[in-house]
Amino acid sequence: VKIVHQWLAGLADIPDDVEVVAREISLRGFEVAEVANGVIDFEITANRPDCLSHEGIAREAHVIWPRSGGAAGRVTGRVTGPSAPTVAIEAPDLCPRYCAQLFDVKVGPSPSWMVERLEAAGVRSINNIVDVTNYVMLEMGQPMHAFDLEKLGGGRLVIRRARAGETLKTLDGVERPLDPEMLVIADANRAVAVGGLMGGLESEISAGTTKMVLESAYFHPPSVRRTSKRLGLKTEASTRFERGGDINGPPAGLARAAELLEMIGAATAGAAVDVYPAPRGPVQLELRAGRIARVLGVSVPAADVPRILTPLGFHVEEARDGRWIVTVPTFRVDVLREIDLIEEVGRHFGFDNLPVTFPTLAAAQAAPDLSLERDRRTRTTLAAAGFSESMTFAFIERAAAEPFYEPNVPPAAIANPLSEKFAVLRPSLLPGLIDSASHNRRRGRKDVRLFESGSRFGAAGEGRAVGLVWSGAGNALHWSAPQRTVDFFDIKGAVELLCASHGIADVEYAPSDVAYLVRGRAGEARAGGARLAVLGQLQPTIAEARGFPSGEEVYVAECDLDALATRIPGGELRTASLPKFPSIVRDVSILVDEALPAAVVRGTIRSAAPETLHSIVEFDRYQGKGIPDGRVSLSLRLTFRSPERTLTDDEVEGAMGAIVETLRREHAAERR
Amino acid sequence: MSADSIHTLKSQFDRELAAAASEAELRAIRDRYLSRKGGLVSNLLKALGSASPEERPRLGKVVNELKADIETRLNQQLEAAAATRPPKGAVDVTLPGRVPVVGHRHPLALLRERIETIFARMGFLIIEGPELEDDYHNFEALNMPPEHPARDMQDTLYLAAPVRSMAGSPATLLRTHTSGMQIRYMETHQPPVRLIAPGRVYRRDNLDLTHTPMFTQVEGLVVGEDVTLADLKGTLDVFVKELFGHDRRVRFRPSFFPYTEPSAEVDISCAACEGRGCAMCKRTGWIEILGSGMVHPAVFEAVGYDPEKYTGFAFGMGIERVALLKWGVEDIRLFYENDLRFLEQFPL
Repeated sequence: VKIVHQWLAGLADIPDDVEVVAREISLRGFEVAEVANGVIDFEITANRPDCLSHEGIAREAHVIWPRSGGAAGRVTGRVTGPSAPTVAIEAPDLCPRYCAQLFDVKVGPSPSWMVERLEAAGVRSINNIVDVTNYVMLEMGQPMHAFDLEKLGGGRLVIRRARAGETLKTLDGVERPLDPEMLVIADANRAVAVGGLMGGLESEISAGTTKMVLESAYFHPPSVRRTSKRLGLKTEASTRFERGGDINGPPAGLARAAELLEMIGAATAGAAVDVYPAPRGPVQLELRAGRIARVLGVSVPAADVPRILTPLGFHVEEARDGRWIVTVPTFRVDVLREIDLIEEVGRHFGFDNLPVTFPTLAAAQAAPDLSLERDRRTRTTLAAAGFSESMTFAFIERAAAEPFYEPNVPPAAIANPLSEKFAVLRPSLLPGLIDSASHNRRRGRKDVRLFESGSRFGAAGEGRAVGLVWSGAGNALHWSAPQRTVDFFDIKGAVELLCASHGIADVEYAPSDVAYLVRGRAGEARAGGARLAVLGQLQPTIAEARGFPSGEEVYVAECDLDALATRIPGGELRTASLPKFPSIVRDVSILVDEALPAAVVRGTIRSAAPETLHSIVEFDRYQGKGIPDGRVSLSLRLTFRSPERTLTDDEVEGAMGAIVETLRREHAAERR
Repeated sequence: MSADSIHTLKSQFDRELAAAASEAELRAIRDRYLSRKGGLVSNLLKALGSASPEERPRLGKVVNELKADIETRLNQQLEAAAATRPPKGAVDVTLPGRVPVVGHRHPLALLRERIETIFARMGFLIIEGPELEDDYHNFEALNMPPEHPARDMQDTLYLAAPVRSMAGSPATLLRTHTSGMQIRYMETHQPPVRLIAPGRVYRRDNLDLTHTPMFTQVEGLVVGEDVTLADLKGTLDVFVKELFGHDRRVRFRPSFFPYTEPSAEVDISCAACEGRGCAMCKRTGWIEILGSGMVHPAVFEAVGYDPEKYTGFAFGMGIERVALLKWGVEDIRLFYENDLRFLEQFPL
């Protein structure tokens, strides 16, 4: 709200320096957006509609710069008589109070002092009548509306809900459809204003107007808010009404308007009416000195309570046993309980005057959820494995998400997305990572390794996962070795490392048929019946659609963090004593069918070997010269050892013989 | 041919030998002086023939002595140079080593972990929760009933259809703050409470230099029998100084949040101008980084705490904003583009 220094100076004893006024008031909770040409633009928080006016800000000023003669009283007046305008409230829930007054008017320009103040406050001068309504709103916070009496059918006002199908052309020239949840001001026949928002074009004050009805009312805040949203219309009036007006504001506003209209010679006041079917009593609250101290952490001197609250418009009774009874003024719609009074006291006592203490810690803190440790471990492991950590948005465009949807799972869509780019929740971390990798690729960065850990949204709802993407080289550019492009075993190595870092042994890998990966270059990792990860080469059509050059291989993996055990690896570990007897190592090369999985070969070896077989490592896999088509030469290193004795060459040879014989029988393997 | 020219040649050799810096240069000098064809000393020997017979023996002796001297000194130097030659199998230590490829951590993750560490040291529990929330935990329990004007402060993204959330109940919106998790915690735990809830939150903000529709928040909550606004000041004072430096000043300004009363914005003195006022702090000398306040009694009532018995404070900050300030990042969107040229500026 724009507060004109000179205007405010008429209402409060403020210093001449506008910067000082701005700074002091800002420290009481009113952020200053701008100070320019003697005008302070305050940002008023949603709870303080009473400060959307010069009077409201003046009350704050009274606490900072006490008035010598006490707070100025408001002009109040109430005239009713037989010639008063006829007002009928048919919807008292939406309009609890409606005041109206008749005036004989002489429409013309406003005096320059009024035009200047209005313009400084950001309101354009229209004519003397409209200007006075705006002036009263900016001064007191009470919005008003003037109707041309002669344009009102039946010369009367009915405050009612709009009828289905009813429309109104508002002052801005827009024909607006109304519905029965909206409040309208109507004449005998039709709506002439949308209550608390805007008047109708036809009944507005014009150069030829001679008689007017001036409205000063209180509207139910949620109703104004709903209507404003539904019509997509926000006005100075609706901003004030929807946050909460002053139930006692209407008669005061009318009195002030009458005073001003007569003062500038714009109108002569006639009879007025105040329709207020269910008057509200004042709110009284108890304020305890002990409670102030418990919340603020300091004992505020007793004299400070009335010193602060009275200028703000509260009535504070003499304290008894450290308790005050405080009557809340009706414009303070935000003050509903004791804590709200404590805030008022604290605000003006000054937060900077509070001591600086530290809360007592009575007991040790509980351990954090293990998922936190799991996620930290995941992130440090993957960074150490060469992947840079990324962050992408959780909502993505539908086309990017589509390939990653699980079959028959409806996408989780956003009802009110900012744009089509943010239309659905990501079903996987991969689409965002692929786009980030492609972003780098298009900026000349060929070798990209990224990961992200975060939430994804699938059939089971929200879950935690980590995604990896790898494009370009599989190894670093170095003088000692040629560079090769990334392949399946690079991404698999990262997944294996991640599983190992979480202490998960016995992970089994099997081919996968997920649609977004290339068939034959896709796998999944499983342990204990749960699918831990999916990994492989991204479908080239997807890579190209997301901006990768055609023919470029992109490898991805996604691990389900929820399926990884949430325990600290090594927590239950019992160490084994170091082997006392030497190991015996044997290498063997066999020719087998190229489609025979290495895991099957390993299984066969285990089944044929004695317990002394300690480990199996594949160290060469060769196809080409000397190897028949469809066959592959597989070289394995077998390590034997016993915890009890030194193994003999003979028994290891015997074991090797049995192993080779079993491989021959089961897989037609030939020893090379 | 004269004794002079022999002397001149010797002086020239002395100079060149002294200037020779490498084995290759020494070899070049040897070729230049001693080569059979065209070597400077060889030429002198040949020229002896034209000297007079009386002088020839004396000159011959001098030239031969010069030749022997040059040979000796050159050989000495060449041997010395050979001794400094790298041995067979030596490596070039100036070639780059094989550095294991290591990725970089994201600045927001680094900052979040740093903040977690500071609060953990002050005895705060770290909790995480669902990013999809229901209206009750995101708004209603936080003193924001339907139609509450403060809901406009956090323009919300809603789900087209309810989704199962991590918390089990159907979620209808993307959380606008992590406060919902604090409600869930209080629903299941009795005071004292001392925790921070970091995580991603969502608001319907357009992407621009300073806004993203998703950002990272860290919220804190302390509840007990004697927790005061002064304790909030003390706690945040420690935090700000740990994170930004001990020379920074902290200021508390009254503000409004529906779930705290009293509420305060926390400003830190501007590092760019040391509080004198500059473009970065909009000439105020202060930069706003946190929202905070005393937990509203209505929030305690919603979770079943007795607001007469317990008091508490809460605070929250967007860490993108903190990261912008801390590292002088000009565009908040850089945090979500994952451009390696940006990420690689941060430590491993």
